[in-house]
Amino acid sequence: LGRGLCPCRALLARRGGALRELHGSVRGLAAGPEMHFGFQTVTEAERREKIYQVFESVATKYDVMNDSMTLGIHRVWKDILMHKMNPSPGTLLLDVAGGTGDIAFRFINYVRSARERQLQQKLKHHQNLSWQEISESYQEGKFKPLGDSQVVVCDINKEMLKVGKQKAQHLGYSEGLSWVLGNAEELPFDDDKFDVYTIAFGIRNVTRIDLALQEAYRVLKPGGRFLCLEFSHVSSPLLSRLYDLYSFQVIPVLGEVIAGDWKSYQYLVESIRRFPPQEELKAMIEDAGFLKVDYQNLNSGIVAIHSGFKL
Amino acid sequence: VRCQLYPPQRALQASAVLRRVSDEQKEPLASSSQQQFDSHPADHRPEQEPQGPRPSYTGQGGQESEDYESEEQLQHRILTAALEFVPEHGWTAEAIAEGAKTLGLSAAAAGMFHSDGSELILHFVSQCNTKLTELLEQEQKLVQLGKAEKKPTDQFLRDAVEARLRMLIPYIEKWPQALSVLLLPHNIPSSLNLLTSMIDDIWQYAGDQSTDFNWYTRRAVLTGIYNTTELVMMQDSSPDFEETWRFLENRVADAMNMGNAAHQVQSTGEAVVQGLMGAAVTVSSAETSRAVR
Repeated sequence: LGRGLCPCRALLARRGGALRELHGSVRGLAAGPEMHFGFQTVTEAERREKIYQVFESVATKYDVMNDSMTLGIHRVWKDILMHKMNPSPGTLLLDVAGGTGDIAFRFINYVRSARERQLQQKLKHHQNLSWQEISESYQEGKFKPLGDSQVVVCDINKEMLKVGKQKAQHLGYSEGLSWVLGNAEELPFDDDKFDVYTIAFGIRNVTRIDLALQEAYRVLKPGGRFLCLEFSHVSSPLLSRLYDLYSFQVIPVLGEVIAGDWKSYQYLVESIRRFPPQEELKAMIEDAGFLKVDYQNLNSGIVAIHSGFKL
Repeated sequence: VRCQLYPPQRALQASAVLRRVSDEQKEPLASSSQQQFDSHPADHRPEQEPQGPRPSYTGQGGQESEDYESEEQLQHRILTAALEFVPEHGWTAEAIAEGAKTLGLSAAAAGMFHSDGSELILHFVSQCNTKLTELLEQEQKLVQLGKAEKKPTDQFLRDAVEARLRMLIPYIEKWPQALSVLLLPHNIPSSLNLLTSMIDDIWQYAGDQSTDFNWYTRRAVLTGIYNTTELVMMQDSSPDFEETWRFLENRVADAMNMGNAAHQVQSTGEAVVQGLMGAAVTVSSAETSRAVR
């Protein structure tokens, strides 16, 4: 789901007055560097806290909000991401900030059908074998429908993971899937483990993006791929105007009506504007050590997929 | 300071797979830390900057120092390794993924290339063309040294085209697929380029020094011969492709005759005209004699 679409990440899910209080106390505390929080300014620690609270309260309504805000288009974006990844059976995927499991489920579906095609190809070759050899291949135990592919969903928020696990059970996904609680800035995994690292609509909510990128580099195998799906900057001025209109007028209203949470969705829209544009993010990814970094704009820049390789 | 630290860190980090080209020459001045970085690519937080004469890091975007292999070279290595898997998987991303795995990379590295396998095919064609050029170069050297006879043009062309087509034999089953991919609109510029430069090379080594329209005619003719022979080869099932070579022989002979035929047509034309004139004279004199009677 539009994890990034969930503005709850940043804003309080509480009253607006509380926000003003916090704002005042923030100045008094001066604890840590000042960061942006939508169009507000808070400290690093505060930001993390608020984002956590936001997602905690929105977890159950996350999917619904995503569908209503993007009119279902977020599904297409995630499908495109999966096609770009084109994972082969046996791939080990780490989906960070993947709370409710959208990318993970798509990955499993994709790999399953790729595996079926692979097995069909093998059977075609088998037509020249002797009966002995054919019977031996059937005895090779399970056919391994996923071909040893695995996806690890990592999220910092327990509530989001809970919703994800429930969804998996409901939809019948069990094999090749695991759920880990972890912070993108400090992943609980060893070096050189994963083939692909994805972060869909999550990197905007990470407080220290550079750390997250460095961690991504660390846990990827040599040759591994980094993929980031995130809201980005629209280039065409006309579309930009319409987009702004929609974002600032419609989305917070939807947030209030559907999730009972105006502020969170106000934050969402603000944080999208604050996030670095395509080229800047590309430079940050290159700084972390990735090569062949490139991005693809979807819907003229409303969303962008950045890709880099650890070579 | 930050800028200073990161570039070498990145060059070394980037060397996880990109290896030093001049590995054999152990620079005595290079500190042990450098060696350590080479052998432990996962060590992503170097404690110190490497000492000794290090080539300067020029910038981002894959421009490593001279000692390190560039992204392009790595891509070439992956594609070369992938060729081994083509008979089994075809010219696809799967073959590239398998190739990447043999180099110790994750299969996800295949994402660097198009999913239709275009780069793999173009890489292969380019490799074959290079091999052909080397072969022709060697032959030419032998002739220059007097160790071999200079072949007549038709023999030369036949041998060159045969040598080039023989390189397709290990991949012959999947080659039709490759041909169709090469004809995709986005590949046509590159594939046409490779084809024309190959044909040009062959004619160069055949000793073509024409500067008139013949230059175009010769290349067009040879391109036609090459393409048709390639297609014949696709569905040839004779032992060692005998039929194909015979076809090739006939086409080259035709091409040679065509050159002669041009002259012949001219002289034939003259002969025909003379014949017609003679016939006309005979008929008119026959008429006249009848009229006289």
